[in-house]
Amino acid sequence: MSVSAVFVLDLKGKVLICRNYKGDVDMAEIDHFLPLLMQQEEDGLLSPVLLHGTVHFLWIKHSNLYLVATTNKNSNASLVYAFLYKLVEVFTEYFKELEEESIQDNFVVVYELLDELMDFGFPQTTDGKILQEYITQEGTKLEVAKSKVPTTVTNAVSWRSEGIKYKKNEVFIDVIESINVLVNANGSVMSSDIVGSIKLKTMLSGMPELRLGLNDRVLFALTGRDKGKTVTMEDVKFHQCVRLSRFESDRTISFIPPDGESELMSYRINTHVKPLIWIESVIEKFSHSRVEIMVKAKGQFKKQSVANNVEVKIPVPSDADSPKFKTSTGHAKYVPEKNLVVWTIKSFPGGKEFLMRAHFGLPSVENDELEGRPPITVNFEIPYFTVSGIQVRYMKIIEKSGYQALPWVRYITQSGDYQLRTNT
Amino acid sequence: MPYLGGEEAVKELRRALSNPHVQADHLRYRNTILKVIRVMSQGVDVAGLFSEMVKACATVDVVQKKLVYVFLCSYASLNPELSLLVINTLRKDCQDPNPMVRSLALRNMTNLRLPSLVEYVEQPLMAGLRDRAACVRRVAVLGWAKLHNLQPHTDIDAAVVNELYSMLRDGDPVVMVNCLRALEEMLKEEGGVAVNKAIAYHLLNRLKECDVWGQCEVLRVLQRYRPQTEEELFDILSLLDPSLLSPHVPVMAATLGLFLSLCSPGLPAVSMAALERTQGPLLAACGSASQEMKFTALCHIQLLLRSLPGLMGAHYKRFFCGYAEPAYIKQRKMQVLVELVNDDNVGLVLDELKGYCTDVSPNTAQAAISAIGRIGRSYSDRCLEILTGLLGLKQEHITSVVVQTMQDLVWVCPQCSDSVCEALGGCEDTLQDSQGRQALLWLLGVHGERVSGAPYVLEAFVEQVRSELSAGVKTELLSATMRVFLCRPAETQDTLGRLLHYCIEEETDMCVRDQALLYYRLLHCGIEETRAVLQGRRSDPSLGVLIGRPAEPVSQWASSFNTLEPLRQGDAGTHSAAQGAPNHVTLDPKPSIDLCDPLNSSQDGGETLNRALPPAAAADSVSLLLPAPYAGLLAPCSGGSQLSLSLSPALSPEEFECLWLGGLQDPHAERGAREQKEEEDCVCVQESVRVSFVPHRSSPRGLQAALKLVNIQTMAFTPPHTLPWRVYLYTHTRWKSPIPSPPCEDTQTLVLGELLYTGGESGRVEDKDEKREGGEQRKGGSEEGRVKVTVKQQPRDDEAMRGFLLVLNATLHTVSSS
Repeated sequence: MSVSAVFVLDLKGKVLICRNYKGDVDMAEIDHFLPLLMQQEEDGLLSPVLLHGTVHFLWIKHSNLYLVATTNKNSNASLVYAFLYKLVEVFTEYFKELEEESIQDNFVVVYELLDELMDFGFPQTTDGKILQEYITQEGTKLEVAKSKVPTTVTNAVSWRSEGIKYKKNEVFIDVIESINVLVNANGSVMSSDIVGSIKLKTMLSGMPELRLGLNDRVLFALTGRDKGKTVTMEDVKFHQCVRLSRFESDRTISFIPPDGESELMSYRINTHVKPLIWIESVIEKFSHSRVEIMVKAKGQFKKQSVANNVEVKIPVPSDADSPKFKTSTGHAKYVPEKNLVVWTIKSFPGGKEFLMRAHFGLPSVENDELEGRPPITVNFEIPYFTVSGIQVRYMKIIEKSGYQALPWVRYITQSGDYQLRTNT
Repeated sequence: MPYLGGEEAVKELRRALSNPHVQADHLRYRNTILKVIRVMSQGVDVAGLFSEMVKACATVDVVQKKLVYVFLCSYASLNPELSLLVINTLRKDCQDPNPMVRSLALRNMTNLRLPSLVEYVEQPLMAGLRDRAACVRRVAVLGWAKLHNLQPHTDIDAAVVNELYSMLRDGDPVVMVNCLRALEEMLKEEGGVAVNKAIAYHLLNRLKECDVWGQCEVLRVLQRYRPQTEEELFDILSLLDPSLLSPHVPVMAATLGLFLSLCSPGLPAVSMAALERTQGPLLAACGSASQEMKFTALCHIQLLLRSLPGLMGAHYKRFFCGYAEPAYIKQRKMQVLVELVNDDNVGLVLDELKGYCTDVSPNTAQAAISAIGRIGRSYSDRCLEILTGLLGLKQEHITSVVVQTMQDLVWVCPQCSDSVCEALGGCEDTLQDSQGRQALLWLLGVHGERVSGAPYVLEAFVEQVRSELSAGVKTELLSATMRVFLCRPAETQDTLGRLLHYCIEEETDMCVRDQALLYYRLLHCGIEETRAVLQGRRSDPSLGVLIGRPAEPVSQWASSFNTLEPLRQGDAGTHSAAQGAPNHVTLDPKPSIDLCDPLNSSQDGGETLNRALPPAAAADSVSLLLPAPYAGLLAPCSGGSQLSLSLSPALSPEEFECLWLGGLQDPHAERGAREQKEEEDCVCVQESVRVSFVPHRSSPRGLQAALKLVNIQTMAFTPPHTLPWRVYLYTHTRWKSPIPSPPCEDTQTLVLGELLYTGGESGRVEDKDEKREGGEQRKGGSEEGRVKVTVKQQPRDDEAMRGFLLVLNATLHTVSSS
């Protein structure tokens, strides 16, 4: 792994905060970072690894910050990126929004975190939940910090500390599936997959033992025992709290949950699902005079379900003017700064079909800049529905004290990267 | 950025820090320190406050301690004496009942990075190793590595090393992993942690307890373990099998890396099976939310494809580009797509690539067009159709790349030339950049008889030659006009005359002028002579194999798997580009490190190389980043080291003669014992290179310049037009590691060489006893000559010798390729 130093820079390349872990790379090397980045960007050869002399910069960008790791060894690149993303994750847990201002407002905590996250270029304690126990925001602002060692540093259950108390014991389970679709201009589905996740919001006292029951169909898919009718799930990931051995032996998902919000499991289904909202578009461009757009949206899901907050975003030429719209439902709006028409339909029942027409004028002097052909994108949300058919059958909560706790379940299917290419 | 009030602020802070009232109120005191740190992060130099801050670290407030330590560690190196004062407080803190304070003190003690303090740090560190609290042990273990890093040349205390080895059995997994890390660092010179059977089993058993980072570390260290029996090996493999499908990309990659290093020497089938199994996770990584992870995964897939060409063929759609993806991802994806093309998916892939050709970013568009060109080597008809269609768009940058791509395509697929010639008409008006125009001129020159308007296009070029800035275009124009003149003299004579006149009388660029003069004199020699020189090969179909090329063994790249290396720019791109032609150093002209460009038909070899070489490489010592097949061939063990040639130290003619003659004599004849030993290190190799020109008639300057560019010095040569024709040359070879790592093998060898050309007859005789050279050469025309190369090397290094011969071959081919 071996990261020599970590820097947080603003967009102008000024160092906001840095931490020299190994001392084998000159800290002044970072001054070369931004010029190098700008130059590569200009040449169109930008890449996430920059090289200056013998120093490699591995960098990521988050809102208005660059997070840069320097190394002069043949380090493991994927691990370094994983660490940088971990940094973002931990900082975000602390400051809600990670950006220039939050770094400047909280630089003490940032220094403390950098100290705990890594030592001598090796990641140490990176679990946000544990870190939050001994580096507390209040501690740095008002009182003397807690000086007792958090139990979790040495605990067997590293993701949950003891002595948590709630008045009302509840668990919220969110089953969320997002759909990624890429449809070609001629209407053929190029790729489609579903990324699903089960998220927990745990508000339970003590050290509860939870057992989650899923419907058989999904369980078979998860364990890959039934290759026939069911969908196959790929990349099933469980939170570290799930006892994998137990799952493999008798297919029960049992765990001691982390407190607060966490992702219990995630999976991906790579199968050809019918795109839930199908878009047919005709975009006709008459040079020097006008653009005419006709978009038909069709809900290809069960009649009982309703898609909410559907937004169809249709690209228009950047020099278009005087928009006119006609919609069979919902309303359309022209967003000139993004060169888009956004057609919003608050509720879209399954099996229905809606139509929108738009008309734009084009200037007689043509814009000779080459423009890309952005795809049509769709955002939507369908509650009480999952494409994979995953269902939570039960959630058993057992705790020593024997309290009664309530599990709540919610299902949502939403759009992920949902793109339909256009002809013009 | 010290802003204007910087000094004032420092004074103010000093006053506040030494104010007893502030010191009494710990909240105010802490806030003042906070201000100091804030000012420090803003870039103001607050080193002057060091002594005040030293005092501030004696406090019970942990946060204040942390802040002061941040300050102290940043400025300790400027104040080594004052830092001594801190040590006392730190040592006291090491006795604190609170383990957090103890670990904090230990960590910062070792972070001061002052060699003078080492003696004070050792004792608390030793105590730290035996501390009750795991968090202190974690810090103490790494502390030893830090100390060693500070004084890398001092002897390592064997007791500490033993202690660290025994602490591998520590109950806390992070302590265990930190022990591994520390030992790796401290025992770097001995090759890192010694992994015996007991340690290996212990690590394997505890793998599951570690976090992601720890698992990667353990898996990497285990790469060094060599199981004794096959049974043991399989036990380990089946234990690790679940990790192959780990949802964490780094863990999956580390496991795969371990599989490869355990299996690749003896069990290629197992490593192949592991690669097949990791397809899913790798593909998932290609679709991960983070662009950088995607990029890393793509680079590694390119690496895998070198050994498993068909891998992921069924999933080619995953490599289609999204609209908003950054250009670096798109380019890598296209490179992968090219590798995955087969009869079933070629239509869809080409349709997709065609869509990218009109991308707003010119770089992406170019990459897409070249990708189509590369697919065109196998599916020429469909690709040509697309490329011709793109010319119709009349977009400047697209046309330029399309013409260059067509140039490449014609070179490897001669059957395409008809359709290319048809498509060329009219695109001269759209072309603006010099590379595009050079490509067009080359095509017009070589296939002039088939492009009806060729002479007239050239005429238009010649009319504007005065305002032409690029020397490359001018030399290309000269060659093209000469060639067209040979096949269509009536239409071109006048144009050629004007061009030659301009170039000889008015041109200021010496290369262009020399070339014009050369052609002029050549024309004096007679038309047949000119034809012999100018009409060389028009294509080299052997370069075009895209499908069915041999897969590389996994071991060639296994050592660089899961490191930074596959990500390095242009690297993987060149590898994949290089695969098209396993037998040539000269490949696709696109990648930046081609030594020579077969398409450049210019007579002046020096100029050719100049254009083909990237500016960086043309610098002092030319690093020969050999393309993949060679890099592997040259450096099976050193994991991608490169061979570089250099001219220094220079040899005087006398020294050269002495060395050369000494070597040519029988090594055992009348030599002293010492010298004899030296002689045995020498090696003398004879080889013959087929060249398609008549070396003794060409300009020696061109050859000399060309060789100089690849850092081979010509010592002496016979004047032109004499037989036998000889050239003496020398160079030094050296291995260079691409990534600064332990200064690896600095072995330098001296190479002396002689090129001998005796005329056509003797070449043919030699042909018969030259058997092992079969792969190196291709059947050529009858007027080709052979140059006999005799090379002497000292000390012997076969790899370097092979590398040198490749470079020499490539250079000779380039010079002779017109």
